[in-house]
Amino acid sequence: MSLALGVLPWLVSAWLFAVGLYGIVRSRHYVHLIACLAVCQSATYVLLLSIGFRWHAGPPIFYDHPPGSAAVDPVMQALVLTDIVVGAAVSALLLAIALQVHKRRGSVDPQSLRPLRPNR
Amino acid sequence: MKALTAALLLLVAVAGPSVVLSRDPRRQLFALTAFGALLAALFEVLQAPDVALSELVVGTAVTPLLFAVALTSIALDRRRR
Amino acid sequence: MSPGLRSLLLLLALALLAPFAWHVAKALPQFGSPTAAYGATVNALGPPLRHVSNMVAAVNFDFRALDTLGEESMLFCAVTGAVVLLRGTRGEGTNRRAGLIPGRAVLARSDAQVLLCRIACTLTMLFGLYMVLHGTVTPGGGFQGGVIIASAVLLLYLAEGYGPWRRLIRSPLLDVLESLGVLLFVGAGAAPLLSGHAAMSNLMPLGHFRDLFSGGVMLVTNFAVGLAVAAGFVMLLLEFLEETRALQSDSLPDEAQR
Repeated sequence: MSLALGVLPWLVSAWLFAVGLYGIVRSRHYVHLIACLAVCQSATYVLLLSIGFRWHAGPPIFYDHPPGSAAVDPVMQALVLTDIVVGAAVSALLLAIALQVHKRRGSVDPQSLRPLRPNR
Repeated sequence: MKALTAALLLLVAVAGPSVVLSRDPRRQLFALTAFGALLAALFEVLQAPDVALSELVVGTAVTPLLFAVALTSIALDRRRR
Repeated sequence: MSPGLRSLLLLLALALLAPFAWHVAKALPQFGSPTAAYGATVNALGPPLRHVSNMVAAVNFDFRALDTLGEESMLFCAVTGAVVLLRGTRGEGTNRRAGLIPGRAVLARSDAQVLLCRIACTLTMLFGLYMVLHGTVTPGGGFQGGVIIASAVLLLYLAEGYGPWRRLIRSPLLDVLESLGVLLFVGAGAAPLLSGHAAMSNLMPLGHFRDLFSGGVMLVTNFAVGLAVAAGFVMLLLEFLEETRALQSDSLPDEAQR
């Protein structure tokens, strides 16, 4: 049981990434594609935070616990923290691109839009 | 504690396909919001309160809003043609 | 490439990678093993060296401030790109008319919505400012606080309606605030160079442990990031909402020249 729990986060992370990738490949709407990309990104968050985790340790905030008490890895949390906010801004940029694609080509279906075709 | 962590990991593993398998973007918004909330809970259990705060606000408030407004703009553009 | 072939290739690739993923999952250290040396060192040396209690903020805004500068530039570029894309085809003028597009129903706002959003907006804005200021002491910081402030501005939109909200939230002000945030961060990194120290050195007074104003230069970078993130997300929100308003002319400006 604890052996399964020892590898569960890595498997969940790989599963989320594979599922997101499947969604990106089979998508028929650009907004759906961007949400599947968000699922791929969350796989990396789960992986990083699980690497930093430690049983019976508290958060790396020494306001209530005295400094020196057991705490999880703060570097991983710092990485994921900035990543989440910047990932949202990049999703917004991708949504703006999807809007422009719809304005110029009239469709947001990735499988019916081929690049380098003349404008409408 | 171990059971809670394992349960949340499995819930997240189920919520991911629910986001991908919702084909209609308007329905996918709700799956995305639930996914964000579950991730925030998982991050909290993994002893990362900063990350949980960040994911909660971004994943349940800001990102679904941007998606909803983008979908409205696409629908309006479609009607304008 | 037909969709069927593409899906087949994807499944083939995933099937090929699955045994490697399983091997890596077994080879990684067990979930919950003791942390790496760098993280343990930061936890041990952070409080005595910098007098702060939030180690994540210490890593983000002091020990690895250079990486955060990179992340903030990424945020800045993403926001700039989205704004250029959306403003470029719309023109720079503002639209005071609220959503008068033929065929689109404009619902009246209910009293409950107005009241609740007015109360929630002020409380959320206050909470966001608290989160930014207490970044070095309790869980929080510039990134979280900035996004909470942006969501407070969204609640203001829900409470007041589009016209009054647009008169209050002007794009030139947001541009200035966001650039000021990035400039402040770069300035905090470059200022130690003027007195002969390394860039991003922590030369300001460190304060007492668990005090609000502790951490030295962390306070400046924290505030700068909060400013940039809040202004950036409000700008994104504004540009996306402007997309749902009536255009001044119906053709795209750059196509009208043909």
